[in-house]
Parts: sequence; structure tokens; C-alpha cells
Amino acid sequence: MVTLPHDDIYQLVREPIDMAAQIRLVRGPEDGAIVTFDGFVRNQSHNRATLYLDYEAYESMALAKMREIGLQIHEKYSIHRVAIVHRLGRLEIGETSVFIAVSAPHRAAAFDACRFAIDTLKRTVPIWKKECFEDGAVWADGELPPVPAATPRAKPAS
Amino acid sequence: MTVLFFGRLKDVAGHAEDSAEFSDAATIEQLFALYAARYPELAKYRSSVVASRNQEFAAWDTPLRSGDEVAFLPPVSGG
Repeated sequence: MVTLPHDDIYQLVREPIDMAAQIRLVRGPEDGAIVTFDGFVRNQSHNRATLYLDYEAYESMALAKMREIGLQIHEKYSIHRVAIVHRLGRLEIGETSVFIAVSAPHRAAAFDACRFAIDTLKRTVPIWKKECFEDGAVWADGELPPVPAATPRAKPAS
Repeated sequence: MTVLFFGRLKDVAGHAEDSAEFSDAATIEQLFALYAARYPELAKYRSSVVASRNQEFAAWDTPLRSGDEVAFLPPVSGG
């Protein structure tokens, strides 16, 4: 059984992400390792020079899906705390768009959980980026989230 | 019922949010068809759209209820 820590962090923000602060917040005396993922804006896309990116989200659902990822990694790996923070709005080259920190007593679980978290975020969290170039802007190619093919049964209203 | 469009679907539909009468469509598929009839460009994206009902990914045959929040989502590209 998994007891859910109340101190995990799931945030959508519009200002620069304070990575050091997130690392401090997941760090506990019983931990021996923190693994972080810092995803930031690249200066090109398919050999076109990027000027900046513009991120938008279905915010209520994105936060719910980020929490779901947290639940999954607590179930799958022996970790302590997780912070998942995604920035929205206009981001310049080199600015961090997503930051994940996972603390654990031992490094293997932290590495595995952090990898799982970013891979799952990129597939399932409803966030979109528009790539802005000299000559226009396009919505980035993305991944289609896995969705049930058909309703197995009538679901009660929620 | 609230209907939301994101990313390029918002551009195609010309707005991010609409309200639809629950009686107009019984399933998510029918609701999408209503909008595709209104914005023919939208129909081209049908195979690369997923839908959600009340912030959960939902199959196309999901029945709709009054007060639902339905969203049409293009491939996600966060991170």
C-alpha cells in the first residue's frame, strides 16, 4: 500500500522555475539521492531557427494528469517525494519549460521514476507548444495520448 | 455542456470555448460531428484528435450528460 505524501509538488507556472527551490523541497533526511530532469527550449526545430516557444495547457486536466503520474511513480518505485513543474506562456531559448525532481533513499529508484515521469508527461499531459520562427509559427508535432477505444460499460456520472 | 478546443483545433474552430445543448449530441463522436459540420476544416483532424470528458480521456462512444465538460485535444507536446 502506498501512503501519499502531502508534500509532493505539481504546478503550472508562468514565471521562471526556481529549480534549486524544488530540489530543496523534495529533499529529506531519509533520502540518499535526488534525480532531476530539466527540459529547456532548444534554439532550433527540424533545422529551423526557433525564436521562442509559446506553451498552453488544459490547466485543470494537466494538473490532474501530473498528479496521476506522481501516484504512478509512488506505486512503481521506492521514492520519497516528487516535484513536477511545467511553465506556460512565452519561453525564450534556454529557459526551462519543465522541471522534475525525485528524491529516494537510493539512486536507482530516483533515476527510473524521473525517466518514467518525463516520458509519461510528454505522452499524457494536455500541454501544447507553438514554435515561433522568423517566418511564422506552427504547433509542434506531438503525441496522441492513449485513450480507451470504446467505453467498456456505462460510467456513472461524476 | 461546455466544449473546449486546444492548440491547432482552437485555431480551426476560431474559439477556445463553446457551450452546446446536451440534447444536440448523445456521444462525443456526435458532438465532434456537429462541430465538423460547422467548421469543415475540423473534420480533417478527426484521426489526430483525442477527446476528454470531465478531464478524463474518453472514448468516442462515451455518452454525454448535461453539465459535462468535453474537450477536443490535438497531439500533446508538453515538456
